[in-house]
Amino acid sequence: MRLIIRDQPEAASTYVANYIIDRIKHFAPTPAHPFVLGLPTGSSPLGVYRILVEKYKAGEISFENVITFNMDEYIGIPRDHKESYHSFMWKHFFSHVNIHPNNVNILNGNAPNLEAECVEYEAKIKRVGGIDLFLAGIGEDGHIAFNEPGSSLASRTRVKTLAYDTILANSRFFDNDLEKVPKMALTVGVQTVLEAREVVVIIIGARKALALQRCIEQGVNHMWTLSSLQLHPHPMIVCDEDATLELQVKTVKYFKSIEKVALAQGFEQILPSKIRTGPAPETVIQSPRDEAGSPTIVSPQPTTSRLLRASTPASEYPIRSHSPDGDLVPDRMASRIPEPALTTRLTPTPDTQNRVGAVGA
Amino acid sequence: MPSAIRQAPVNGITKFTNCRLVVGDRLVDGDVWVSSLTGKILQTQAAFYDQRVLPDETIDLGGRILSPGMIECQLNGAFGFNFSTVLEDMPQYGKKLKEVNRQIVTTGVTSYIPTVTSQTSELYHKVLPFLGPSGALRQSSDGAESLGAHVEGPFLNPTKNGVHNRNVLVEAQSFQDLEDMYGADNITPNPTSSSPLPIKMITAAPERGNMSSLIPDICSRGIIYSVGHSEATYEEASAAVEKGATMITHLFNAMRPLHHRNPGVFGVLGIAESLPRPYFGVISDGIHLHPTTVKIAYNAHPEGFILVTDAMHLVGLPDGAYQWTNGDEENFIVKKGSVLLLEGSETIAGSSITLIECVNNFLRWSGASIPQALKAVTATPAAMLGVKGVKGTLEAGGDADLVVFSEEKNEDGTPRLVIDEVWKFGARVF
Repeated sequence: MRLIIRDQPEAASTYVANYIIDRIKHFAPTPAHPFVLGLPTGSSPLGVYRILVEKYKAGEISFENVITFNMDEYIGIPRDHKESYHSFMWKHFFSHVNIHPNNVNILNGNAPNLEAECVEYEAKIKRVGGIDLFLAGIGEDGHIAFNEPGSSLASRTRVKTLAYDTILANSRFFDNDLEKVPKMALTVGVQTVLEAREVVVIIIGARKALALQRCIEQGVNHMWTLSSLQLHPHPMIVCDEDATLELQVKTVKYFKSIEKVALAQGFEQILPSKIRTGPAPETVIQSPRDEAGSPTIVSPQPTTSRLLRASTPASEYPIRSHSPDGDLVPDRMASRIPEPALTTRLTPTPDTQNRVGAVGA
Repeated sequence: MPSAIRQAPVNGITKFTNCRLVVGDRLVDGDVWVSSLTGKILQTQAAFYDQRVLPDETIDLGGRILSPGMIECQLNGAFGFNFSTVLEDMPQYGKKLKEVNRQIVTTGVTSYIPTVTSQTSELYHKVLPFLGPSGALRQSSDGAESLGAHVEGPFLNPTKNGVHNRNVLVEAQSFQDLEDMYGADNITPNPTSSSPLPIKMITAAPERGNMSSLIPDICSRGIIYSVGHSEATYEEASAAVEKGATMITHLFNAMRPLHHRNPGVFGVLGIAESLPRPYFGVISDGIHLHPTTVKIAYNAHPEGFILVTDAMHLVGLPDGAYQWTNGDEENFIVKKGSVLLLEGSETIAGSSITLIECVNNFLRWSGASIPQALKAVTATPAAMLGVKGVKGTLEAGGDADLVVFSEEKNEDGTPRLVIDEVWKFGARVF
């Protein structure tokens, strides 16, 4: 987990925007090798979009070969309703940059068959080779996308009923009339987010402080769905000072010192190069990853079991980030243990589950 | 194989970005997408998500002003061509008109209502068929578009004739008189024809003949009745408004001056009789009206304020004395700058000012903001002519008639607009 703390919200947004731009530039996307970006809506990412647009207009970045997937969309309001997420994305981002409409993907809340829409969305993500970077914001209750408290951490794109609190909070955008507020939404699942090669979360303001604290200092918990990020190999949270109000001083100092030291060493907690450039074009075509292909939540599978399996899809990219001291372990115990015969499906049906608990669980 | 789609086929879409848009009384930062295929302003979000199109061309205006094209409601001719002219070879009239339209558009006027002064019945019969709405084909290369003719006369008051030939002024007793004068085809819709009526607006004195009672008949044909060249008292003018008059032709000029015991036509801009206030044209050339008078008119009813030029066909020509045939009279008009006088008199013979000069005068005199001034030549005349949302707007679905303005400063610090580009039906024409 990387936690980047900036004094001002503006600086946090700038950090994220620059980070995304650096990622895209380093990736050097082409039509055959596009950069796939997951995008959120809401107030937190507004600053990021604004800066991305500025940088685009200044000629510093092109979105020509970027494919986007949005997190969620309301069900039952017209697509061009001013509060729809289609409208949000158009207004704050797409209308200002050179992204091609055919490369834009947003769930259709008016699809005749909503379930099919969700299945197709997941398939689409796989078809383009998975998401390289998923940008996210969070709610006060720590929800990521519309995965509100209690959402399965193994969830995928699906229809979701909104929490009453969320409906109340949203009513301000719908003439304060609860009747007009959408009660349901389509959203990517926690698992969908975690399958991205990298997840970057922007958290702004004191109202989000408790959520940040739960997600960083406490355990993985479906009541704070962002906490699932702890299971992701390359998460990054960028927040402003206000958002850290509930964190321990020790935690804040710890993450600040890491950033400082890393910087001093000329090393910016960067990702493994394979992730930074994305899968090589020829390896992009792959059969859709099965459930076990998830690098992250394969609960109740112990994480070690994945580490031990040399051919697990999780090793599609290295589990570890680059370490500044270069102290890499050249040889792992795992390589000396014969490959366990795993069935591919690990969850969620326990009877078909092949426990490999014997291996260091 | 994943692939990012790059090149779309040519779709005629142009995106204006980094512009200040004239929206209501404000300048707002924003983008406008136009299509040269439909000639309209696009609903951009729908175009993006539905048609999945990207603009062929993106034009960065660098903070310049993007305005709807200007609409002129009082133009007697231009570039040497007088609309109130009978040519021996009338097909030539159509040709000349087309040429003039292409020249007019370079002055930022994308739509106008060609004005025919008081004439004999014969002239109306001949010229009006040429002056009707000309935008049906939506050809940007045709230049400025007529929205229909404005017949200013001949049912005017002889005491307020201005430079109109007094000998041709008549009274109307019945609608038949109007049909006889203008030609029935020009004023009464033909149920078997789908082509629009040539006449869009009639200026007449309501106190003359039976005119006041004919106003509802005129309005029911979709024709605008405008009070002008009139001795009407406040009461008579109010009655005309009640009957359906929605416009006043060149307010203050050729009508009784405002008198404190009878405010005359100007009085209807008050709302004493609880009537809707009409629109009104104001000539801000610095000759027809004192700058302060223009300001008073604006403050009386900003929503109805329309800037007009009342320009003669001499606009665009060099200074000098020009022969002018006014009915059976032969006169000379002396053009000196934008001043036009009847030779040997002090009578103002229309103007030869351009509409953008009127806008700039108004900006200098009134302290109005740029969008307020531009509204008087875009949204307000469009509303008066019943083409709100089609002309004079930057809203999606409107016609893509646009002007790009640079903003400069006068010596006294007031803003001045300069026309950089003119677009008609989504294509650049200047």
